Amino acid sequence: MHTGFHAAACILGGIFVATVVAGDTISERAKKLHFSSILVDTHDDTTQRLLDPKFDFGVRHSDGSIDIPRMREGGLGAIFFSIWIPSKVTGPDAVAKALDQIDAVRRQVSKHPEDLVLAATADQIRQAHKEGKIAALMGVEGGHMINSDLAVLRRFAALGVRYMTLTHSGNDEWADSSTDKPAHNGLTDFGKDVVREMNRVGMIVDISHVSDKTFYDALEVSKAPLFASHSSCRAICDAPRNMTDQMMKDLAAKGGVVQINYHVGFLSQEFRNAEKADPKINEAIALQVRQRCGGDGNEGCMLIEGDRITREFVAQGKLPRVEYTKIIEHIDHAVKVAGIDHVGLGSDFDGANMPYGMEDASMLPKITEALLQKNYSEGDVRKILGENTLRVMTAVERVSRELNGQK
Amino acid sequence: MRCLRAVLAAGVLWLCCSPLLRPVHGDDIADRARKLHFSSIVLDTHDDTTQRFFSKSFDLGKRNPDGHIDIPRMREGGMNAIFLSIWIDGRIMGPPAVQKALDQIDAVHENVRRNSKDLVFCRTADEIRKAHAQGKIAVLMGVEGGHMIGNDIRMVRIFGDLGVRYMTLSHFYNDEWADSSTDKPAHNGLTDYGKDIVREMNRQGIMVDISHVSDKTFYDALEVSQAPLIASHSSCRAICNHPRDMSDEMIKALAAKGGVIQINYEKSFIDQAYKDASDKLSGGVVALLDQLKKQCGDDEECLGKKMGEMEKQATAEGKLPQVTWERIIDHIDHVVKLVGPDHVGLGSDFDGATMPEGMDDCTHLPKITEALMRKGYSEDNIRKILGGNLLRVMEQNEKVARELKSRQ
Repeated sequence: MHTGFHAAACILGGIFVATVVAGDTISERAKKLHFSSILVDTHDDTTQRLLDPKFDFGVRHSDGSIDIPRMREGGLGAIFFSIWIPSKVTGPDAVAKALDQIDAVRRQVSKHPEDLVLAATADQIRQAHKEGKIAALMGVEGGHMINSDLAVLRRFAALGVRYMTLTHSGNDEWADSSTDKPAHNGLTDFGKDVVREMNRVGMIVDISHVSDKTFYDALEVSKAPLFASHSSCRAICDAPRNMTDQMMKDLAAKGGVVQINYHVGFLSQEFRNAEKADPKINEAIALQVRQRCGGDGNEGCMLIEGDRITREFVAQGKLPRVEYTKIIEHIDHAVKVAGIDHVGLGSDFDGANMPYGMEDASMLPKITEALLQKNYSEGDVRKILGENTLRVMTAVERVSRELNGQK
Repeated sequence: MRCLRAVLAAGVLWLCCSPLLRPVHGDDIADRARKLHFSSIVLDTHDDTTQRFFSKSFDLGKRNPDGHIDIPRMREGGMNAIFLSIWIDGRIMGPPAVQKALDQIDAVHENVRRNSKDLVFCRTADEIRKAHAQGKIAVLMGVEGGHMIGNDIRMVRIFGDLGVRYMTLSHFYNDEWADSSTDKPAHNGLTDYGKDIVREMNRQGIMVDISHVSDKTFYDALEVSQAPLIASHSSCRAICNHPRDMSDEMIKALAAKGGVIQINYEKSFIDQAYKDASDKLSGGVVALLDQLKKQCGDDEECLGKKMGEMEKQATAEGKLPQVTWERIIDHIDHVVKLVGPDHVGLGSDFDGATMPEGMDDCTHLPKITEALMRKGYSEDNIRKILGGNLLRVMEQNEKVARELKSRQ
């Protein structure tokens, strides 16, 4: 009969099935490596959900990307909760709202002492990992939250804030954003003072969101390495939020790290083009979000619903589907351009639209699996997962001690 | 002859009573008092020196020609622990109040950092004891007015995390949830939210301070609080009838729940004659401040200077009577007679008030120890008054916080 044909079909079918399965199964080797490494995620917007007293961080949710069970499942060792309010909120209001969010994070940690521990240094992250706990840290996402007051910056540091993104999507009083009309030509003199004071108190200077000129000003002034807490590669997807190859090289030359963002609009040129081609799509999404969240203002709801509704649009074929493998493509590119010591993970979980296959933190081991399949060494995988970030943290701490006249 | 005798008698009287010329006692009390004073933990629960941190001419590390507090003078006066007051005008509310409080909290931490040879920031009674053992001065903070939490209970935790160890529920004006003793009643003491705030303070181990608050606020706080309260800088209404002072009933109630009243050295709070004369001149402390604000705006240093100048001039013109520092001892004595030696301490209000004669600054603190010793107070009881009582209240507040947190 048609045995040869049959055999071929079976073999091909088998290969097809094997490929599909291999994409979703994590090898023992990857599991061992992943869970013995310290995975440091430098940007998560879950803070917005923590502001809702009804949100239980300790139980597994079917929406959003982050909670304790899914972090454990995904081997997330250290999480930087983003302290964020929109750029248009300024003045003392911005300071007070930032403090409310800092309180929400700190309170959450004291509610779950068996799972979470507040950390402020690389050593404390390592210690948390040894004890089988998840290290909780904070980054302030936007300089508008210090209301041009260095005392506020210092008190944020005292409360455990370990990085500050110099702007969010709008310019602030002393720095230009990549998504706003230039007003300051990068950093003002005061902005440079801010960077110097951040060096002194040991706060990492984060250049995600800022304009290219702001990036270069900060790079020049800072005595410590910088990082981009959640940015990807402009060479693959030309969003101004992403870093050019040259920027990544220059960041790396000063010891910094680019922490890859998983947002589909920053990963995929195709997705970005589709959004830009038809502005009505985003308007429609925004409208539905507002309807589901009872208007503007409930940031936690808006971010989660925005992700859900975007997914619906993708399912309806209105927007292209983006696979999680795009993350690996960006990691790969950044390694080739900036070097293996200068790439890390800055998911933007709970603050962006996640690709298929990386809907939540439980899927993080797939990154390790994919990198191993691409023949990254175990040492190199550890670097990308978190060691590079820990190195930057340690360097920033050392510079701070030196600037304060300590050993 | 009679004339000469009269002159001699007057002379002797003057010699005995002049605060400037101390009579020489033929005993060793002065010596023993100095030893006791400089081996005890001398703890002051209220100093407004924080306001001076914003002046370019003030250096905490140097001996300053004005004001009451700096490191050299604290060393000379044997002051071992100081609660620097975080204070802004009680009419500033909401987020601006929060940010301004943060500025002052930062100024305290930065000044400790810059003077780390002499100062160490402390958050517990244990840390104060350790500082004393190491020969350093313990610095702590109290927030003087609930308006500074911006009507947001979460700021209680934030302030606690930043090292604040007590909060005075109001200052001169009512805030959103507590009535002041120097404002028209609006909330009938504490609102429900105010009571929640007291409970949260208990949970965070932040002492509830009832200086400045109305009597009703005091009684409400006393009822709600599971930890002993403090009056960080108040004196006795029985001696000087000022709303800022505590009545005998209030002192008894405070003591019954383990609390402590820390005596304020402000002239118009400790001396009836002075208060009456001062009220006649200015219409009261709040009215006076208001007048001076018109000249000084927000400049606290200017305010302090002008108050001092006005005060000196009025005294020189005989419009205000002299007040001897020994009035402070009268107030301490009154509390001890009322409720025993476990419920009184020192809350000077240095750099925030007008000091009596002979207590020009903190270098004069050893006089208090000597005066108490001469009055027959035991060394143990003197140590309690100098700081032991407040340390006990702190420890009790820390214990309550631990218990409440373990229950949650």
